[in-house]
Amino acid sequence: SGAAWARGLLSWARPERWLASGSLFPLSCIHTSTSLQKTGKWEKKNRIVYPPQLPGEPRRPAEIYHCRREIKYSKDKMWYLAKLIKGMSIDQALAQLEFSDKKGAKVIKEVLLEAQEMAVRKHNVEFKSNLHIAESLTGRGRYVKRVRCHGKGMFGIMKISRCHYFVKLVEGPPPPPEPPRTGFDQAKEYVQQLRNRTLVHTL
Amino acid sequence: VLILVRSPLPRLRALLQRCWGRLERGLWPGALGGQSPPWGPVLAVQGPALVPQGINDAGESSAAAPSLLESVLWMAAPKQRRTIEMNRSRRRHPSKLIEMKRNIDVCPECGNLKQKHVLCGYCYAKVKEETRLVRMEIYKKEGGPFNAPTVETVVLYEGEKPTEKDAGKRIIERARRRPSWFVQN
Repeated sequence: SGAAWARGLLSWARPERWLASGSLFPLSCIHTSTSLQKTGKWEKKNRIVYPPQLPGEPRRPAEIYHCRREIKYSKDKMWYLAKLIKGMSIDQALAQLEFSDKKGAKVIKEVLLEAQEMAVRKHNVEFKSNLHIAESLTGRGRYVKRVRCHGKGMFGIMKISRCHYFVKLVEGPPPPPEPPRTGFDQAKEYVQQLRNRTLVHTL
Repeated sequence: VLILVRSPLPRLRALLQRCWGRLERGLWPGALGGQSPPWGPVLAVQGPALVPQGINDAGESSAAAPSLLESVLWMAAPKQRRTIEMNRSRRRHPSKLIEMKRNIDVCPECGNLKQKHVLCGYCYAKVKEETRLVRMEIYKKEGGPFNAPTVETVVLYEGEKPTEKDAGKRIIERARRRPSWFVQN
């Protein structure tokens, strides 16, 4: 491991790597996740390419992944809107968001319209209404701490929160909602559990 | 080069020196914290038996500040940290989720979405814009505030002539085709 470490050091200190960039202090050697704009995982999901389908297989529905980063809104508040539109068709979701009074509703509506446009232009979706929302998530963005002044010279530290919003549209009508679990289903499951019991470590 | 300058007020210097001497000898208690005995009102009483009571009364009458500190012990405060499971069950309770609206329809005029008990936003914006242009024409005709005539106003579009009904009324011309929603008369 010592030899590998030394080799690693020497490989970093190779002069041709430095001269290739043409400057004394090349920034390409330094990699920090915060400074450079690296593509997130959700954006990369649009790039996966499946192998061609066999003639007998059912048609794989188109999937479109879209997101917006660093929205000036709280992730907990945004989550309620994401939960509202989960599993709806895109038209229904747009209708609900248009008449919602929340600040995040406007942002999510823009994201959905962008995703719909992308689906029709790039992802070979025939009808723009034939989409439903398979997944809709929120994530925490970068928080910033600021001073909040109170009376008598006291101060508190407030955090300015931002969030990300992720959505996955899938072609096709929305799946039917799950029927609520009745007492009969619960009783059946209980009886099945009792029947699954066996004796362990025996003949 | 360091130069010492003597203060020009010898009397002030003498006074300060005397004060400092007093402080060092402990003849000025209360200036330095924690070294002087606590000052409080003293009861001058004739009689030996009243001395302990006097101390108690002095203690109670001068101790007005500790009652505030004692009341802090009776403030409501959480006993245990709320677990994330409890927090999640509270935040995701169905009463806290946003309800789906069931009063959204399609406007028969323009085809946009509208709520059942509210005017269609698109149609309202259209009418608002046209009203703004009519008002601009009125302002051009009047030339300033407080010049409104005491007669009715009629808005006429391209190719329309005033009828007998519009005899004494003020006529505002708009240089465009009559919109379908603005019915004449």
